[in-house]
Amino acid sequence: MAIASLQSVLQGRRSQPQQLIEVLQDVQDLYGYLSQESMTEVSAELGVPLIEVFRVASFYKAFSLTPRGRHVLTVCSGTACHVRGAARIVDQVTGELAVQPGKTTSDGLFTVEAVNCLGACALGPVVVLDGVYHSQMSPRRLRRLIESVRKAGNGGGS
Amino acid sequence: MPQYVTLRIDGANVVAPRGRTVLDVAIEYGICIPHLCHIETISDMGACRLCIVENVVDGRTKVTTSCTLQVQEGMVIATNTERIRKLRRNIAELLVAEAPNSRAIQDIAVRCGVKRVRYPFRNRDCVLCGRCVRVCAEMWDARAIGFVGRGKERHVDFPFGVRPDFCKRCGSCVQLCPMTITPCDGPMGPGEERLCGKCESQLMVTERMPDTCVLCDLGKGFACARHG
Amino acid sequence: MPRLAGIGELENLRAAAVAERQRASMTLIVCGGPGCQASGCRAVADALSEELAREELTSEVQLRVTGCHGFCEQGPIIIVEPAGICYCRVEPGDIAEIVSTTLRGGVVDRLLYADPSSGERVRSAWEIPFYRLQDRVLLALHPEIDSSSITDYIATGGYSALAKVLGEHSPDRVIKAVTSSGLRGRGGGGFPTGRKWATCRAAPGDEKYLICNADEGDPGAYMDRGVLEGNPHLVLEGMLIGAWAIGARQGYIYVRNEYPMAVEHARLAVAQAREYGLLGDNILGSSLCFDVEVARGGGAFVCGESTALMASLEGKVGEPRAKDVHTVEDGLWGKPTVLNNVETWANVPLIMRNGPAWFAAKGTKGSKGTKIFSLTGRVKNTGLVEVAMGTPLRTIIYDIGGGAADGVAIKAVQTGGPSGGCLPADKFDLPVDFDTLAQAGSMVGSGGMVVMDEHTCMVDVARYFLAFLQDESCGKCVPCRLGVDRMLEIVTDITEGRGRPEQLELLEELGETVRETALCGLGKTAPNPVLSTLRYFREEYEAHVRERRCPAGVCRALIAYQIDPERCTGCGLCRTACPHGAITGESKQPHTIVADACLRCGICQSECRFEAIVLTERG
Repeated sequence: MAIASLQSVLQGRRSQPQQLIEVLQDVQDLYGYLSQESMTEVSAELGVPLIEVFRVASFYKAFSLTPRGRHVLTVCSGTACHVRGAARIVDQVTGELAVQPGKTTSDGLFTVEAVNCLGACALGPVVVLDGVYHSQMSPRRLRRLIESVRKAGNGGGS
Repeated sequence: MPQYVTLRIDGANVVAPRGRTVLDVAIEYGICIPHLCHIETISDMGACRLCIVENVVDGRTKVTTSCTLQVQEGMVIATNTERIRKLRRNIAELLVAEAPNSRAIQDIAVRCGVKRVRYPFRNRDCVLCGRCVRVCAEMWDARAIGFVGRGKERHVDFPFGVRPDFCKRCGSCVQLCPMTITPCDGPMGPGEERLCGKCESQLMVTERMPDTCVLCDLGKGFACARHG
Repeated sequence: MPRLAGIGELENLRAAAVAERQRASMTLIVCGGPGCQASGCRAVADALSEELAREELTSEVQLRVTGCHGFCEQGPIIIVEPAGICYCRVEPGDIAEIVSTTLRGGVVDRLLYADPSSGERVRSAWEIPFYRLQDRVLLALHPEIDSSSITDYIATGGYSALAKVLGEHSPDRVIKAVTSSGLRGRGGGGFPTGRKWATCRAAPGDEKYLICNADEGDPGAYMDRGVLEGNPHLVLEGMLIGAWAIGARQGYIYVRNEYPMAVEHARLAVAQAREYGLLGDNILGSSLCFDVEVARGGGAFVCGESTALMASLEGKVGEPRAKDVHTVEDGLWGKPTVLNNVETWANVPLIMRNGPAWFAAKGTKGSKGTKIFSLTGRVKNTGLVEVAMGTPLRTIIYDIGGGAADGVAIKAVQTGGPSGGCLPADKFDLPVDFDTLAQAGSMVGSGGMVVMDEHTCMVDVARYFLAFLQDESCGKCVPCRLGVDRMLEIVTDITEGRGRPEQLELLEELGETVRETALCGLGKTAPNPVLSTLRYFREEYEAHVRERRCPAGVCRALIAYQIDPERCTGCGLCRTACPHGAITGESKQPHTIVADACLRCGICQSECRFEAIVLTERG
């Protein structure tokens, strides 16, 4: 189901406060983040006090209150990945892209996130780039992956 | 269903209306259970964990907060065992290490028997007791402030960090805040944080009758429910 | 789509589905489980589908993409039925050869599993020791079922337990059966399921709810993901039986946000069940009316806790509340609610189909049945493993798991996630049993089992878990918010060489305080990783504190990397690899690591081809 607009997200859910998290997730998918305007609209349409919308938006990791980069790079820091060297993957990412997890590079290309488990534990360390899983990552393979994204960005048209 | 129940608190038989909490009932009976996030007529959160008591259920002892525990017929409660005193002291130690710059927190530390602080002092200006948030929501229905963020990032804030126009500027939040009462000597600068212990004399009174309310000055510090 | 109005129609559908499956002379099964998805099974399945179409074999050879088989380390996996041949680490480029060889009745030897010591190839899937030594009650169902097909589920006996229950068993009889089976919650709590259901049934009120907890937040655990993605209808059938037993009309499957595929599969299964009238009103012509909604989490480990999960379902922040009144009486929307884990629900139809005595025949006195574990970490065969309760840890780690990866001795196993503990190798004879592991200072937990070796620092493990819990704590109560923070502060001090001996006692005292006074299960069990590592690996803590030394060579403040000028060829690989720009050197000249810029990540050592970079203790 394509989400066309905030109105279509709210359709069928007005005055239903219990739908708040589902609605915010759809808004997050739609815009890539939760803006003040969209949160204020959701508050009014769902009948949830504004402070509660803000609370929920700031409590759950799924939501970003600032716009994200063009590519989202998620590094798994779960226990299994940790004992298989996920710390080095984090080092590689934060060193090469010069951002801490949760932040976006200054050129707006990458948002780096650290997640506490993605559920592919047997094959750690795991990295997800724009929804695609990469298993048994090493710092070198990650370097190449990041390079390929940069090249695609420079070479391609749009 | 009978309106009143009988329970035992610290060995004494107590009669209380159904629906009241153990903390409320204990305070009324003059039993001193330290508390911070509890305020009369406002809902209880069970966040500070200072009001913990031992509740004996089916022969097993459970440590529970008395502010969230409703009185039941035949309940057996102990408010001041050695175990409870130790746990309470450790919790108070965490609080005073976090926010020594408050008379209320210092008073609680003294009352709970904190003699030394084994953690590096910090100088936070909020202990997240939630008094402000709850009074804004429940007494005024304004909901201008709330808890935002999670875990270490949890803090009290306005929506989007900006005071909304529906904040009535009533000042209730400031009035109830335990941080707005600074130690008697004035604010402690960074690096000067210490355990105050000035009200030791008050503590001596409570030590002689450990679980009895003596309407001490310490209670004034943390706006104890009995002081009102 | 035919709505099944009664049990007779279900049986007809089953017969038709069985006949359909038997038409093809051969089936190629591709594992589509979480591990294989990460290894690229999608490309393999697509290549296979294209090849079958190209060779016009689609009527002779069936392609079935299934849920997790469990042998994730060896994926992508293809099994050829009825021959039972198992191919490992398949790539799209292997597909043409597999198809042509299989049609000739041959075997592609190079893709068979090879025994690591003898090198001998194993032909048959279920002869592979990894599989053979398990007791695969739930996992064995996965290769049989296309996880997106309800008819596949029905063909293999699905919904027959529900039919039996609706036809013959009263709700009380169902509860009796579940109770006598001895089933205990598989999410970590281990609470007797039958007793939970009975209490909820007895609670006053007509409005009752069922929840399937698929939040699975324990890092390193993905059993629930495997079951929910691989066999969602089994979970639904369990919930339907539960709804009948306790009198619920509405259920929820709460899936964590990080599992989009599980959300998708669950939603598909619900839609299919509704189409066939297996959810909705008067199911199979009985008086049971029950529907299920799939809800997504927002990304919070604490929402695995029952009261926080319910708050999240109600659209609020996932803050737990004190449980002086249990959720079976006062749960979702204040109504009586049964919340059970995915694997718990999955066991229910099998118990009703085969009888409680069948279930109780496996396991120990206090822990019946089988349990799925996600065996991960520093062990050869990682994946999902199912064994009877009471199986010794040693069997799982060495016989099934294949023992140490990379030849480094195994030191410990961590079970129960952040709520659990670490057990040392000399405790590996302990059986996986709720009470035994709890007494030893750990727990069975949800099933995560992370193997650690001599290259793992147990103090670092404690720090890792505390950092995780600090991140995930809701922050409401003082003992968890401030207590975990201070424990983390102390353990961090220790890993960075600032630890003092008296801090070890303080850690224990603070840990006990947090355990007794925290508001919810997250806080109450938060000290477990620290307390268990202090109990069993105290010498590592002592080394850090008294000698400023990390025996495992992990804690970055206590180690240093140096380039051996004798071995260094000046190839410059390390200089390029270093993400912090801390290596200097001319081409073909020995390189040096600049100590001030070096963050001791070790990436250089992992890339050096001449073993010229050495790990030393920091002076």
